[in-house]
Amino acid sequence: MAVRTAQKTPAERLLEVLGPVDRFHDRTELGDFGMPARAFMEDILEPVARGGPSSRMGPLEKVHAFWFAGMSCDGCTVSVTGAQAPSVESLVLGAHPGLPRVVLHHPVVNVESGPSYMRAHEMAISGELEGPYVIILEGSISDETRAIETGGYWSGQGEEPWGPDGELRTVSTDEWIARLAPNAAASIAIGTCATWGGVPAADGNPTGAMSMMDFLGKDYRSAFGVPVVNVPGCAPIGDNFTETVAAILYFLQGFGPLPEFDELGRPAWLFGETVHRHCVRGAYYEEGSYADEFGDPECLVEIGCWGPVVNCNITSRGAINHVGGCMNAGGACIGCTMPGFPDKFTPFYKRPPGSLVSTAASRLLGSFVRPLRRYTNDHLNREVRWDLNKEVPSGWSRESSAPTMVQEVGHKFYDRMRRSSDTGRSSGEVWGKREEWTYEHNPEREATQEQIDLAVTDRGKPTNKES
Amino acid sequence: MCFKNLPIEFDQSGRAHLREGIRDPYSVTVTKPRVERTDAEREAEIQHLMAANGHIKDINMDPVTRVAGALAVNITADLEQGRYLDARSQATLFRGYEVILMGRDPRDAIFVSSRACGVCGGVHAHASAYAIEMAMGLAPPPLGTVVRNMQEAAEMGYDNPLHLYLLAGPDYSEAVIKQVNPELWPKAERWSCPNHRHHGMKTMAEIMTALNPLTGALYREGLEFTRLSREMFVILAGKYPHPQTVVPGGVSSTVSLQTLNEYHSKLGRIFDYAQRMMGVWDDLAEFFFEADERYRQVGARPMNVVDPGYWDDPYAYDATYENCNDWGERRWSTPGVVVDGKLVTTRLTDINTGWEEFVEHSYYEEWAGDRYDTDQLGNPLSPYHPWNKRTLPSPTGKNWKEKYTWACTPRWDRTAVEAGAYARLQMTALAQKLPNNPFVEATGHSLRMHIPKGITPEAEVEWHVPEVWNAFERNRGRAYHYVFSQLVGLANLLEAYKLMKQGEKTVAAVSAGDLDRHMPKDERRSVGWWGAGRGWLTHHLVMDQGKIVNYQICTPSTINASPRDPWDQPGPYEEAVMNTPIIEDISDPSKFTSIDMLRTIRSFDPCMPCTTHVDTGQGTVVREVNTCSCGAD
Repeated sequence: MAVRTAQKTPAERLLEVLGPVDRFHDRTELGDFGMPARAFMEDILEPVARGGPSSRMGPLEKVHAFWFAGMSCDGCTVSVTGAQAPSVESLVLGAHPGLPRVVLHHPVVNVESGPSYMRAHEMAISGELEGPYVIILEGSISDETRAIETGGYWSGQGEEPWGPDGELRTVSTDEWIARLAPNAAASIAIGTCATWGGVPAADGNPTGAMSMMDFLGKDYRSAFGVPVVNVPGCAPIGDNFTETVAAILYFLQGFGPLPEFDELGRPAWLFGETVHRHCVRGAYYEEGSYADEFGDPECLVEIGCWGPVVNCNITSRGAINHVGGCMNAGGACIGCTMPGFPDKFTPFYKRPPGSLVSTAASRLLGSFVRPLRRYTNDHLNREVRWDLNKEVPSGWSRESSAPTMVQEVGHKFYDRMRRSSDTGRSSGEVWGKREEWTYEHNPEREATQEQIDLAVTDRGKPTNKES
Repeated sequence: MCFKNLPIEFDQSGRAHLREGIRDPYSVTVTKPRVERTDAEREAEIQHLMAANGHIKDINMDPVTRVAGALAVNITADLEQGRYLDARSQATLFRGYEVILMGRDPRDAIFVSSRACGVCGGVHAHASAYAIEMAMGLAPPPLGTVVRNMQEAAEMGYDNPLHLYLLAGPDYSEAVIKQVNPELWPKAERWSCPNHRHHGMKTMAEIMTALNPLTGALYREGLEFTRLSREMFVILAGKYPHPQTVVPGGVSSTVSLQTLNEYHSKLGRIFDYAQRMMGVWDDLAEFFFEADERYRQVGARPMNVVDPGYWDDPYAYDATYENCNDWGERRWSTPGVVVDGKLVTTRLTDINTGWEEFVEHSYYEEWAGDRYDTDQLGNPLSPYHPWNKRTLPSPTGKNWKEKYTWACTPRWDRTAVEAGAYARLQMTALAQKLPNNPFVEATGHSLRMHIPKGITPEAEVEWHVPEVWNAFERNRGRAYHYVFSQLVGLANLLEAYKLMKQGEKTVAAVSAGDLDRHMPKDERRSVGWWGAGRGWLTHHLVMDQGKIVNYQICTPSTINASPRDPWDQPGPYEEAVMNTPIIEDISDPSKFTSIDMLRTIRSFDPCMPCTTHVDTGQGTVVREVNTCSCGAD
């Protein structure tokens, strides 16, 4: 455990202003208000979601997950509804071997509303909740101490009788986070707002917006001893989040390895590479070919792509269900997974200054590599027999499709190099194989046509004669 | 002509001007709408009832779940008479996006403003691009507009089922009906579905069971289809929410034949599902209306509706304000305003001229700007118009008589209008200005749609403009809007194939490198009129010396979630709740769940994240967004 720094965290300062709480809504007075199913979501789903020991494969039967939308656009929620690996419904219904059921308290999902929706949150604060809980934040944290001074709030979720004299007051998202984080099994920030600050914290930010880490401080550790876990992206890939949650649960159930997080709390196996390394257009960069107009198929660096210096996996994972991905579709990377987003990437549609050096270098290299590749590619686009016949049988081909003499010599030389260590060319006798006759492969005719010998060898068919 | 409150008249060429001889015509005390009931009268009735019976309940539903974003609704309910006496809609979040945009390079606006809403995760980027390209004078090439239309059709393909099955559906599910409307369940078990052959469910009880949250077949299928449509979206836009291929003057999507074919293959799977969706929501409405006529009153409000249109004609749209009435009326969904059920205009300039936003009951300081008296064509503008607006956020305590929400109060002609996806159907049906096409036909009172066959045979369906917008008609309208949007997607896909056949490849007006050269140095005003899953969306932009000096977003949920206006007219949510009878059994007051109010609110498909505001950098905040109809600000 790190040594505590002397300075108070914003969360501590907020709680100091607000003071402790000890009372909650009066359940009797509320009755069924906001409870159209007259039951909590957890109870409605339990018959389906509860698994036996052989399904859950570990000690956890259920985990509560409190989802807070702070200063968010709900885009992270939307992304997570698109996840498939695993899907949110699988998590909530405990529908994969090894998954405990995740009792999700999410404003966009739950059947209960109003004070009844806040009931489980109250129980978590008062320690009455059964089972461990995690808190998940999408959206930035606002600086509520500023709004409190004038009697208001920036970002509220629910009311509690926490005013002086027990009157109802709007409870800010930040207050929930500050009260719930210390006893949470884990605190997870999803999306660039919650992980780093994001757009609400960009230059001109009027609300004092900040990230969950900024709010809870460097010394924050969850009840399980874990700092804030960060799954960035604006919006993040839904699978990155659900997979991270699942990986943590698999570890807790005892069969998964300890998930590795990098120095910023990102899942290291998802954010360890730059997005450029898996980019479908990356090879254009290597060959020095760059998109000039919007919509061009080449590398997008010169129309404002920051991919080579941005940690993200969208080019390998796609946006949803392995479909899409920014550069795959023609979108330049604007660094939306990064702590520097957006202010270190603007103005958009403008090439990153650092690319001047690298694109000049790759243009030079590309001017050599591209023709060589085209040369070999031409050769590989011809069946061996077509080389022999000096004709491509395709009705689509142009008349000039036959290689020139120079090309042919070059291609032969290339093939020699390729086969230089091919042990199929050794002198071992192939005694298990009989020479078969086909119209084109006639051993008698072959004996008189040396050219064919050579060709057959090049096709990789063993013959009795060493070529 | 179209204005009955604002003193605006038209000359013979259709140019608007202010009626002469009125001093201070935009003052809220000079030009007043006719108001049925003031808050004082409402309050007096409540006090009277309180004294007469002890069954008045004043309670805040905070948060309202299963809506996008942060919304609370305070109700005063008379549990003896079964009425909602009062309702106060509160947006409980402010973020300050417009503030953040002010003072930036306009090239930042598309990707920054997109983050106003992740539920309507693509529409803000497009609205912003419309605003910027109008200011810069960049008209997209036809393929650019067609690709935008395809993206946005796909976005609606995700948005509508998300609302109908994840957000609204559970209110009509077995889990809820058995508890709050137990009298309906035996009837539901016996009731044979007229649309059985379209959705495969024999009885209403089967539909209701399939609507159960998470475990129901329709809920889960709805979720799957939101994913399919998002796949179509990201083929063209990279990711969702927050597309990465929207640029000023077009798109940066790389459109290959594979792109179009993949979109086609996925779109082809949707039409069977669309028929099932319409069948389900038709049957639900009929079942409830048949069971109890009072359900026609749930969520009902006067038929005052607004929409700026959606999906442009690639050959008409030229990104100019000057020609906006021409290209506006050629949109796939016609712009328009309906007042008391009548279509009063289809001109974008009229919509713009009548637009005002008030903050009497919102956590902002009041303001009135006089920077612009008229638009670029000389039509008069109010000091409360977005181009004149400043946002001065000021979080204070909640007080119904003063301030109680972060949403502001947009009004057209000082009338409380409503926004919604279904507004598109209504305007388009009434206006009869649809582009020539084989799929959709407007009759003046309905839309006839020809749905291609999938596994289900092809079908012709007809959506009729309802007599009143209530909770069930809104949901039914959304189900028909789903198929409408997908047919627009199909028509635009065919146009993309055609353009490809002609060798057309250009998707943007200028290259990235040329944006610098096209940046105007003088002062420019512009507006992006667009739509969201919930209807209306506008971005109003003012730029000067290549810099954003004002940015104002108005979202459909800002409109619908708005609080009282300066004349005590309630916002659409508030008014709809006050018109809603309490039908659930409240003989035991402790059993009151408020489901009828929840059904009302959710039928609007609230989306609150888009809300917000701006900062001038000198300590003042200039107004910015309102939100995406997301509501609030």
